[in-house]
Amino acid sequence: MEFYLTALIQGLCYCTLALGIYISMKIFNIPDITTDGSYTLGGAVTAVMLMHHQPVYVVLPVVVLAGAAAGALTGLIHTKLKINALLAGILVMTALYSVNLTIMGRSNLPLIGLSSLFTLANISNNPDLNTFWIAFIFILIATLKIDYLLKTDFGLAMRATGNSESMIRALGVNTDRMKIVGLALANALTALSGYLITQYQGFADISMGIGVVIMGLGSVIIAETLINWLRITSVWGSLALVLGGAILFQFVLAFTLSSGVDAIYLKAVTAIFVLLIVGLPRLTRRAA
Amino acid sequence: MKLLKNIAFVFIVYLVAGCSPAKKKVPVVGFIDAFEDATIAQARAGFTDALKKGGYSEADKTVKIEYRNGQGSIPNVIQIANYFIHKPVDLLATCTTLSTLAAVQKTKTIPIFAMVSPTPERMKLIEMNTGAPANLFGAVEDLAYIDTSFLLIPQLLKPKMGKLTVGIVYNDAEPQSADALRQIRALAEKNNINILATPVVTSADAQLVTKSLLDKNIDAFFALPDNVVFASFETIVKSCDEKYVPIFTSEAGLVKRGAVVAFGADMYQWGYQAGEQAVQYLNNNSTKGLQPEMVKVRNRVFNPTVAAKYHIAIPANFKTVK
Repeated sequence: MEFYLTALIQGLCYCTLALGIYISMKIFNIPDITTDGSYTLGGAVTAVMLMHHQPVYVVLPVVVLAGAAAGALTGLIHTKLKINALLAGILVMTALYSVNLTIMGRSNLPLIGLSSLFTLANISNNPDLNTFWIAFIFILIATLKIDYLLKTDFGLAMRATGNSESMIRALGVNTDRMKIVGLALANALTALSGYLITQYQGFADISMGIGVVIMGLGSVIIAETLINWLRITSVWGSLALVLGGAILFQFVLAFTLSSGVDAIYLKAVTAIFVLLIVGLPRLTRRAA
Repeated sequence: MKLLKNIAFVFIVYLVAGCSPAKKKVPVVGFIDAFEDATIAQARAGFTDALKKGGYSEADKTVKIEYRNGQGSIPNVIQIANYFIHKPVDLLATCTTLSTLAAVQKTKTIPIFAMVSPTPERMKLIEMNTGAPANLFGAVEDLAYIDTSFLLIPQLLKPKMGKLTVGIVYNDAEPQSADALRQIRALAEKNNINILATPVVTSADAQLVTKSLLDKNIDAFFALPDNVVFASFETIVKSCDEKYVPIFTSEAGLVKRGAVVAFGADMYQWGYQAGEQAVQYLNNNSTKGLQPEMVKVRNRVFNPTVAAKYHIAIPANFKTVK
């Protein structure tokens, strides 16, 4: 069962990534591909700053700013140069590879014998439990902040930009600015995931972001399915389900690994489990 | 609702049945592979054979080797390491740098037998106060062998004109590749060799990058054995053959696949050496006297078909690749 606790921690670390994808999906109705790069950027900045013995509370705002800068750049390219949002994300993600490699100086940075966010407080004697509580509190605070932000007039306008841009523009809202700020926010959250994961796994790697957008997207779509199924309208409920989606995604992987399926079928079985979960509403409706 | 209940029932039965009994009869080895690759897989075969020779075979039920492969995804590799550590297994076997790194960062107690991995120094795993991780063993590699394997090129090949020019593609996402390239550049400067190196991130880009190097009139191609080169080697061979440029490398498996010669570790032997250490640990139930060893078996091998094609005279101390 302790193994499932580690899967839960890993899921918690990916929660801010899922929140980031959720926000970019709300604004664009398409995923923001910058994610793959900004997640690694968060990890790279974290690893380099921790190696230079910077405290974690100093690293945190730098990671947020770095992620936000990457997102804002995607937003600028998309809105000012009128480049397709997907391509803008792809371009920034591609360029970030070199940026990340430059920041790190080499492709892989292990964090050996350095303090991290998870050693900051001693809530429990069991290191896994301690990590869990710190990650849980961190995610709770982050989610509460996002929840608050999405409920403000600004947040409302940002969410509505994705629903009906022309209407929002007619109401006098600068939709370009909404997109830039929204993407900056989404990628700041994504970089936070890189910040958490790097400290949790104990190293940053240049290829850690490959495919991470797919994972976030999977989490968000699981959540969307459940939101529609349970007819949830509150922001808080939606965010909680997005977090649940990220955790569930890791649990499915953990369950597949512990079930001992042949390594060849790892990805297929994971996909089938996720399919079962998102297909359940439809199946139960048929069965009922 | 009936369907939901059925699914829940099956799930619970599975969980109960899946719980392993607390009493362990046979030692359990957790084998972590980072990605799928035929050449890298030879190390696993070597490791398993060494265990078998030491009296630990799955067929005789004297050992249980649990194999998991991260399929190229870091989150998977981390979860696999966590899974084995919490099981817990008696020892971990890790193949390639990423698996070794993930295991070292997750456990300080379970012995780790690494293979196809660089030395702890190269992996930047040396702590100021305590040195290398105390639970890391197995067979590791530094960059000294690169000198010998690279210098095979001026030994066996004459430049078409003037200075010898060697093209290299390397995966800049792998620390040992970037380090090896630095070493080669320094070596080339001393030996009056011109180096043209281009990074390649995915195997999908390998063909384009290789062709761009071949367009610059290189005399030889040096293949650094990293996962992108492993994955796309046939493409590299095809492109080099079209331009009549021989490939030199530092890994025997690539010679089998179309390079001319290599001086370097043999993947199977690499795994075998790590396996021998694991046997010693299982026999004595102690890691006393064990430490990360340098790879012992390095082969000078050549591919006779390819050598004949390029009219390269191979010295007598080279063996035909099997």
